Amino acid sequence: MASPAIAARAVSPTLGPARRHEGFWWDALYRIQHDPTTIAAMAVLSLMILLALAADVLASHVFHTGYTNQDLFRTWGPPSLEDPKFWLGADNLGRSQIVRLLYGARVSLFIGVLGASVSLGVGVSLGVTAGYFRGWWDDVVVWLVTTIANIPILFLLILVGLYFRLDPLSLSVLIGMLGWLGIANFARGQTLALRDREFIQAARTIGASPPRIMTRHILPNILPLIIVLAMVDIGGIILAESALSYLGFGIQPPVPSWGNMLSGSAQFYFLGPHLIIAPGAAITVTVLCLYLIGDGLRDALDPRLRGTAGVARRG
Amino acid sequence: MGKFVVRRLLQAVPTVFGIMLLTFILTRLSPSDPVTLMVRTNPDITEADRAALREALGLNDPLPLQFAHWAANVARLDFGDSFNYRRPVIQLIAERIPNTLQLSLTSLAIALVIAVPLGVLAAFYRGSALDQVIRTVSVFLHAVPVFFLGLLFILFFGIQWHVFPVGSMNVVGESCTWCSDRLWHMAGPAVVGAAGGIALIPRVLRTEVLEILGQDFVRTARSKGLRERVVILRHVMRNTLIPIVTLFGGILTILVGGSVIIEQVFNWPGLGRLLFEAANNKDYPLVQAAVLITSFLLVISYILRDLGYAAVDPRIKVGG
Repeated sequence: MASPAIAARAVSPTLGPARRHEGFWWDALYRIQHDPTTIAAMAVLSLMILLALAADVLASHVFHTGYTNQDLFRTWGPPSLEDPKFWLGADNLGRSQIVRLLYGARVSLFIGVLGASVSLGVGVSLGVTAGYFRGWWDDVVVWLVTTIANIPILFLLILVGLYFRLDPLSLSVLIGMLGWLGIANFARGQTLALRDREFIQAARTIGASPPRIMTRHILPNILPLIIVLAMVDIGGIILAESALSYLGFGIQPPVPSWGNMLSGSAQFYFLGPHLIIAPGAAITVTVLCLYLIGDGLRDALDPRLRGTAGVARRG
Repeated sequence: MGKFVVRRLLQAVPTVFGIMLLTFILTRLSPSDPVTLMVRTNPDITEADRAALREALGLNDPLPLQFAHWAANVARLDFGDSFNYRRPVIQLIAERIPNTLQLSLTSLAIALVIAVPLGVLAAFYRGSALDQVIRTVSVFLHAVPVFFLGLLFILFFGIQWHVFPVGSMNVVGESCTWCSDRLWHMAGPAVVGAAGGIALIPRVLRTEVLEILGQDFVRTARSKGLRERVVILRHVMRNTLIPIVTLFGGILTILVGGSVIIEQVFNWPGLGRLLFEAANNKDYPLVQAAVLITSFLLVISYILRDLGYAAVDPRIKVGG
């Protein structure tokens, strides 16, 4: 029922003059095409995703080694151009750092995307239903949000990591289950503001059921900014995972993740600074791209918010 | 004001209950058996001993009763003994809290001193090159993992240039709390810890200041001929106090959550590092208590923040 055009009017009543294509999403696309920072960030991130997907192929056909293969003559080897597998040097066990970074990209991106999907699913459904039904259900959701917001999330993850052995799948579900607060708050606030608007009342008058109103009328209106939050969320989850793995409670070796490549890094200071800089730079660049894309999308989808704060850091 | 304080304290009750419930449920969901964990270093234990211990610990009681017992102990700050240190958990934690507070509060001060002017400047010179630089720095600091920033700090300032120590709180043999030696050791962790706040504050503050600058009273102040300096200091800056107090909550969460990382990177013997060591030693009572107590500390600081909020914004007291 609610086409993107209706969504556009509700979210952003003052759109600019019509360009080549009419409509909300075309308008956003037009803005993104004229935003070089966002385009660059998207390009870098796409390259990162491609490299992560191609990790197996690259490892066996270009670098001729796996992420566990050791070359004990090359431990702590500095970056060198002579052998492709040591382009970024070797680690303390003589494993190729570039191959480990590629596989680490898989873990980080997988956890980021899956974790963000979980937290989006939980956050949007709890937030929208709480805002729509209000009453006791709203109280329960608000209580959950305040409770979890008062527990340092990294501490909680360490506690859970102590009780359960975490693989990438369970870790991303767990982080997602704890990271939905910001999204729920946003969805709830927007729903509270929308639920008494005329078009919702009209839908209610013609007999639309609550699930139909929420999915067909409210959701399309908050979707644009949810997409922005999703980008920021993926970045935040990648950061949380890397911190947990750095401390040794996340992804366990020998599976490489950008975080656990840095754990025990105190011994790297003298022998292998390249072992600190490469994984750290990989995390920073990936998260930076996600945040920049989030910023760019927000500007494109809702120009009124241009330049306001959107990035929420998780504790 | 009294009414507001009481109401705010009452609001914290369900939160504290929720924190305890969540921690308790997580502990009970765990596949590892507490009795096995307690006696894992004792090879002479018999099955009868286990059963007796299980009964004595109340593990055969119904879950709600177990929760009530446990909650009563927590209320008395009795978290049991640490598996590893064989001492009451609460003592171990109490010893570490001052170290964490010293570091976090210093980080908080650094973050405020650097980031508040940045946020205000970004708003005043909106759209300028300065605004762009501040925005870029803030996004960048958001994206860098704290531990990577800390490792880089040590790598360059500690190892390469020998400007700052690579970790710990004092040189060997010293143990002073507020002296040049401690401050020298604290520089690294405090500055790196402030990065989260420096990333967060300017973004939020810029929006808030822009909103204040557009208010009628600012236009009135200007139109009645006040000098720009007076307008900014008396009318604009006073109103930025409200968003700054609001930001305290976010920064505190970052600092407390980040403490485990910062203290691990810089080998700072605070609560975060205690938690890290306890988790490595599988010292369950200590980890559980550290999570609970830091959460309680956060609840308390949020209450203090809200009281500060009421102090700078009279409208809140009227409403409450």
